Formats: sequence, structure tokens, C-alpha cells
Amino acid sequence: MPVNPGATLSDAEARHLLRRAGLGPLPKDFEHIQGATRGAAADLMLDFRPKPFKPGGRDFDAFHNKWVKFILKTKTPLHSKLVLFWHDHFSVGNTKVQDTKLMAQYVQVLHTYAKGNMKDFVKVMGKTPAMMEFLDTVRNKKHQPNENYARELQELFTLGVKDLATPPQDNYTQDDVVQIARAFTGWDYDNGGHAFFDDGQHDTTDHFPGRGPKVIYQSTGGFGPAGVDYTQPEGEVAGEIDRVIDIIFQHRDSTGKNTVARRTAYRLCEYFAHANPALTTFVDEVVADSGFDTTFDISALVRSIFIHDDFYLTAAGEPYGSTTVKSVKWPIDYVASTLRLLQMKPKGKDFQIQGGSFSRLIDHLSSMGQVLGDPPSVFGWDWEQGWVSSATLLARYNFARDLGAARGGGGSFRPEKLMDLSLTDPGDIVDAVASVLGVQDHLKAADRTALIAYLTDNGANPTLDLNDFDVRDEKLNGLFTLVMQSPAYQLH
Amino acid sequence: MAITRRQFIKRTGLATAGTLLGPSLFSNPFVRQAMADTIGHRYLVVLFLDGGNDGLNTVIPYQSGSLRTAYDANRRTDAGGINVTQGQLDGSAIGTTGTLIDNDLGTSLRLALHPGFASLKQLYDLGKVAVIQGCGYPDYNLSHDQARTIWETANPLGVSAYSGTGWVGRHLAAEYGGSDIPGVCISGEVAPEFRQTATSVLAIDRLRDFGFPYDDDHSDDQGAKRSAFQDLYDNAVADAQPLRNYLGNSGGATLLSSESYPQAHGLYQHDRAAASQTYDDVGRSTANDLREIAKVIYAVEQGLPNIHAHFFRLSNGGYDTHSDQGGYDPDNGQQHSLHAEVGDSLKAFYDDLASMSHPMDPNPVVNRVCVVVWSEFSRRIPQNDNGTDHGSQGPMFVVGSSVIGGVYGGHPDIANLDDNENTVYSQAAGPHRSTDFRDVFGTILKHHVGMAQADILASVLPLDAGNPTDFWTTANFDLGFLP
Repeated sequence: MPVNPGATLSDAEARHLLRRAGLGPLPKDFEHIQGATRGAAADLMLDFRPKPFKPGGRDFDAFHNKWVKFILKTKTPLHSKLVLFWHDHFSVGNTKVQDTKLMAQYVQVLHTYAKGNMKDFVKVMGKTPAMMEFLDTVRNKKHQPNENYARELQELFTLGVKDLATPPQDNYTQDDVVQIARAFTGWDYDNGGHAFFDDGQHDTTDHFPGRGPKVIYQSTGGFGPAGVDYTQPEGEVAGEIDRVIDIIFQHRDSTGKNTVARRTAYRLCEYFAHANPALTTFVDEVVADSGFDTTFDISALVRSIFIHDDFYLTAAGEPYGSTTVKSVKWPIDYVASTLRLLQMKPKGKDFQIQGGSFSRLIDHLSSMGQVLGDPPSVFGWDWEQGWVSSATLLARYNFARDLGAARGGGGSFRPEKLMDLSLTDPGDIVDAVASVLGVQDHLKAADRTALIAYLTDNGANPTLDLNDFDVRDEKLNGLFTLVMQSPAYQLH
Repeated sequence: MAITRRQFIKRTGLATAGTLLGPSLFSNPFVRQAMADTIGHRYLVVLFLDGGNDGLNTVIPYQSGSLRTAYDANRRTDAGGINVTQGQLDGSAIGTTGTLIDNDLGTSLRLALHPGFASLKQLYDLGKVAVIQGCGYPDYNLSHDQARTIWETANPLGVSAYSGTGWVGRHLAAEYGGSDIPGVCISGEVAPEFRQTATSVLAIDRLRDFGFPYDDDHSDDQGAKRSAFQDLYDNAVADAQPLRNYLGNSGGATLLSSESYPQAHGLYQHDRAAASQTYDDVGRSTANDLREIAKVIYAVEQGLPNIHAHFFRLSNGGYDTHSDQGGYDPDNGQQHSLHAEVGDSLKAFYDDLASMSHPMDPNPVVNRVCVVVWSEFSRRIPQNDNGTDHGSQGPMFVVGSSVIGGVYGGHPDIANLDDNENTVYSQAAGPHRSTDFRDVFGTILKHHVGMAQADILASVLPLDAGNPTDFWTTANFDLGFLP
């Protein structure tokens, strides 16, 4: 059975779990789960009470930096890892919302529900003012319903346009979008950031008989030709949006599987493991193991992923053949993990890296293609190869250089805190640096050779004295930078 | 017909020589000149209007008649209304010379551009703008993501052999090799329409910031760092694992280009300061992005080493005007501002290329650059509160000095809507016949880029299989807007 909670983690698997479920694991994190079973380790990582963090701040930069600071300091990195997933999933950007107070409230919702009940999460999200602004719920009025939220609720948050069958089948029609848009008419929020329902702006069947009955999923979703009527009795019409979501969570795909459960599990497998997860032998198994299709308990689903064989596939070292799976680190993961591993902190009001270009952290992240609170669109970010371009790679190379060149001042790079400077053998030094940065399982032998050639200037200096400041400042800092710039370090 | 770079290399035996001598061969001025003379350095720029540009308020029925009547019936003139009146289009109501263009071919009724396109109208009057109406594909999709993917992959039926690669990318893969860098996206990411795995496409936001970062305190260690970096990325290229291989190629191309592209910025700023200022005068992101493209084109024309890009891509966002779309008023609503940005920026780019061309040059660079403008869908003719929801087919622009300007294709039939209140995509003969967007791309590849029709059909734009009504089963790559 590929779901195997009793399997004992190898050291490489333990490091893998910490890397994928956390951010820049330190040696003490590893000691906590070394030799544990998958199930025990997963339980340990999921054992936290979600702190309802809210990044307040007078402007967008302050909001952004508070959020990143929270990620850098967190003792429960899996919480932040889940929040990042949901931020991408329920994508909302300040570019349109233009109100960091509302954005902070939205981020608080992400933190509150990150490992909770997904159905409740979706219901609350629809009444979160930042989302209501972002997808025009506040502009959805009975005379001219605005379809934006109704479409994305189905396409992005729950069902997906098509199901995962081969060939894929449509999960809903344009008519379902039109009818669901009616349910959301009349919702708005007040100055205090609380959603309220304006009966007078709600589209009722009595007033608009020409729009037909509020019946959805007549052709798909296992409800048959009759579909489902979501109309609520007079006086309770505010409940129509919750009723719609209850129906969506009962939607079945063309193969009879719960559509929301399957798609959500698929995306979480992509997130924590790798692209194109096997549908029946990975995705369906974690749904079955967790009971997510009836409970919608996110925590249980995540646990099932962490105890599944396929989750550990990307832990593999060389040889990297055509069937090996890998995953590209998100920019926020690249940045936060690196800072945590090197025990460095951006400094000052501008949250700056004190070396190289002396850039602000938000500028580094922006160049890498990921500013929290400002995803490129309602679709969130493009993952995997979407993270990789000459521009974003150069941004990663810049960040790595800036860290290695951070000298003096409070935020400097201090390798003596991270490793034994009495090492003199170049191979030992490469291994120690690889271990600090967590790529000891993934550097190729040929990579190691290239890095040794760098340290020794092609053998001209066969040993190094790292206690000599000049040697350390040039070669050891350079080695850290090169490993952070290497292909292996960009991948999980 | 010009032959392609790959054909040139094959025919002259340079493929073998290139392998032996490496990229330095192409730095040889004689070889480069011979190639330029042969393939003429044609450039293609793809501009994406992200979010679904309202085509019905881009190319607007002006003359009283069936189209205008339907337009006025749907687009309101009240506070949230987005109607652009006849007086605003011919300029009589706003004290301008107006933005009228030619007649719609199907109905013979006069059309106009949105008043925000005053600059584009100037290029239109010079005969440099083709307006191709009613571009789309059968069974239009109303999801941004899916519609965009359909255009970028030019693969509406989702044939698996063509998913994951873009139409420009497939052209590049057919014509260029692993060590070439024929494309640049002015962006943080490689646009999906440029994606492929056979050759390298750069994503560059700003050329001046594209230098490789070394530690300034240890400049004598740069050579050792560069060498180790190169080895690490070569090691990844050697792997069959797709992500490592992709990363390896991307990082290698980045290192190489980081040593050449910043020079293109310096050269342009030095030689073309006056032209550069005209983009600053527009002061919008599309202008700034087009200037980066102009820098690269100038560098290629000047023969700067290791810069050979001929295909470019940029985008402008904000077209998803569900709300606050606005009508004519430049100070109210979003669309006027977006149109002005695109029109003014294209005008600055055109003028820059024109002044870059030597008066005695028989084949000046301005004649060798073509810009194609597209959006993933248009918007619905009935408006909502103060915006518009997702619609079906819309207009495309092709801009360039060698373009045969004018109006092509019929205006969508806004008087007869389908069940979604959208205009109907139809290939039936008649005044409102739609244009499949693949015929527009194919015409550009055939008549501008110089790819043979058979090659385009074989490797870039596959015809739709099967034969349901309106499917694209016969190509027409001779739409007439390019010689």
C-alpha cells in the first residue's frame, strides 16, 4: 500500500519532508524527526494551533515585509507553507484591492483556515472584503449581475473548468455561471470590513422571471437533467451563497468522484510533491486515505500526502533520468529558506540585504516573480518552469551574491556560525557547505568536482585555511554563493 | 522568398563549420553580413492585451446604420455608460480631427477607432496599420486562462502534441538550434506563446540590469566563479531529467546573454538619446517595454556580438474591464487610458525605427519589423453596471511599415447574439464572416517571417482535425495585409 504511515524515514527522506513541509530546516529540526515513522513525523509537523496572523502596516511595503518577517521567524513553517498555497489558490492582489487593511484581513483568513475545513474556508472567502473587491462581488447588482466571482469560484477555487478524466469533461456551463452570479447579488461590505447582505440588490426569481429558475448543474455533476435548485425561501435568501457552495462540494465529476476533493488533492500533491501526480495511484489514494471527499479536512489530506510513497519521489539523488521527478522552489521558499539556513535577517525600515546591490527584500522577490499580496492575476502564479526564466534566474543569482557579499553591519554573512572553520580539505569544505544548505543529497559528483576546482583554483591550492579571513571571505563566501546559484539548489 | 537562417546554414555547409568553430563563427562580420543579406533580419513583435480587450469599443461602428443602431441599443450614454458617440468618433463633439478609419467590408458602413487611439490613427493614415476584425475560433471560451492558452498555443482543440508549446515557440524550434537565442520576452517570464525546448528564449525586464552579479570585493576571483558556474549548468544540461535540463539551458543562456545584452542598452542610450526621450514622453510601461525591444533591434543591426534576437514579446494588462470601463472621457474609466498607452507607444516605436533607418538603405529596418496585437477575447455588447463581461471574437492589429494598411474582415454581428448574448463566430459567407486567428498568425509567418506554408502547417499551426461546422480545416495565409 503506497500510503504507509509506519514506514521509517531514511535520513534523506526526513530532510526531504522538512524541506517540502517547512522552510529551511536547521539541524535541530532534523534531530526531532530522525528515525521516526512517516506518520509520527507528519503528525508532529501538523501539530500546531493556527495563529491568526494579520500583517498590519501603513502601506503595501510594510504589509509585505511583516508577512515575510512572520515567515522567517515562524516555529511552525508548515503553517506558512499552507498559507502560501492558499494565497495562490484564492489569489487576491492589492493592485486591484488597493487597501492594505483589507489585504491584511484576507491574509488573516488564510492563516485561520489554512489547515481547517475547506468548505468553511470557501464560504468565508466569498464574504472576505478583499476578495469581494478583487472579483467584483461588490459590483454584482440585481439589474446587471457581474459574473466574475461566480466564474472563478467554480473554475479556480473549487471545481475547475474540466474534470481530471481522460478525455476531460466540462464540470459546468456558462448557464451555471449566470445562475450562480445571481446568488451573490446584493453582497457588500461596510467601512469596518464586515460583509453584509443588501436584500434590495438581490436578484430574486420573482423579480426576474425571465432569468429562469435558480437551477444549476443540469448537464453535469451527477445531478442529472433536473439539476439542483438553490433558491432559499423568502427571508433566508442571504443563505443562497452558502447553499451554492454546499452544492458545489457535492459535485461529482464524469467518473463519479467528488470533483472538489479530487482537484484540491491534485493541486496539493503538485504543491508538496511534483507536477503531474499520478491520478489513481497518488491523488485518489490520498483522498481515500484522508476521507477528504466527505470531511474536507485539509489537515487530514496533507497528512495522507506526507505518508504516501509518491511524496518521497522528488527526494531522489542522481542519476537524474528522464522519469525522475523534481520541483522548482518557489521564490518565497528560495528566499525564506536561505535566510533561515544562513541565520540572516534583512535589516532596517527597507528590509534590506546588507551586501552586493543592497537591495530591498521585496525588490529581490519581485525580480524573482513573487511578491506576496500581489500575484500576477486571479490565477495566482505559474509554477515549476513558470518560475524559471533568464530574468528570474538572474534575480536568484543576484540574491545569492548579495548574501555572500554581506559584510559588516547587523545582517552580515557569518559562516563561522554555520560550520567548522578548521576544515582544510576542499572536498570536506564542499560537503559541509552542501549540508548547511541542505543539498547534500542532490549535488552530483560532477558538481562536487567543479566546486572543488573552484576552491583550489584548479588544484593550485590543494588545501585552504578558512581561519584566514581573506581566504574565507573570497573562497568560502564564493562557494556558498555558487551552491545557492546552482541548479540543484533551485529544485526540491 | 527569403530563406531562413537554418536553411542558409544547411545550404552553405555552415552547420558543420559552426559546430567546429562555435559561436565565434557568427561573430565574423563577413558571415553575419552574408546572413543578414540573405534572410534580411526580419523582426516580429507580439503584443498581448491581457484581460480581454473590449473590441467593440476598440473598432466602433460610426456611420448610422444597422451596426450603429445595435451599438447604441446596448451601450449606454448615462453615468456608467460606455457609449462613444458619433461626435466623439469624428471629433466634432470634442474638438479633434477624429479617429475615423475605412468602411467595414461586409456592411460598407464607416468604422472608427476609439478616440484613445489618436496616435494609432496617425499610423493608420500612413497606411501602416491593418485592422483585422472578428478574429477568434470556433466554440469560443470565456475563461481568461483557457482562452489565453488557446491563442498562445494556437491549439483550440487541445491536441496533446501541441500543448505546452506556443505558436512562436514552434516556429523557433523549427528554425533555430540549441545554441541560438532567437527570442526575448520583455518580462520576468518566458511567455507561453514562446515556449518550446529546442532553443533559448530570454526573459529580460530591463537590459541595463541584466549583467551577471559578481562579488565586487573579489573581482580577481570572477574567472574561477564563472568557470564553476558554467560547469554546474553544463552538468544539468547533461541530465535527461526535464527540469534539470531546462534549468541548465536557461542558466547557460542567461550567463552568455548577461555578458552581451547590457551593452545593447549602453549603445542605444549613447547613439539614440533623442529617440529614447520620445518613449519617456509617453511615460507608460508599454512604451518602456517597446524601447527595450528597440535597443535589441538596434544592437542586432549594429552587429553587437552575441545578440541575435528577432522575435519579441510584451504585454499590457488591465483589460478585464468588468467595472469602471469608461467611454470617451480620458479622465474617467480605464479603457481610454489603455488604448492611449498602446497607440502612443506603438507610434513612438515606429518613429524610432523609421529614424533608425538610413535614407539610402534599400531595405531599411523599419520595413523589416512587424507588430501583431491580440487579446484573449473581446467583451459582450450588452454592458453591465459600468463595465462589460467576457465576450467572443475581437479585432487584431498588425502594425509595420511593410503592412498594407486598412480594414480586413467583417465586423461581428452585434444585432444577432447567441444564448450567452455574445456575437456568433461563423465561417459562413456573408457580411459578418469571422476570421480564424490562426490565419492571421499564418499570414505573418508566411509573408513577413518567410516560412513556407507547408512548413507552417506541418510544425507551427496544425489544422483542426475533423470537420464540424466552422472548424479551421482550410488555411488562408494570404489575408492580404502583408505583401
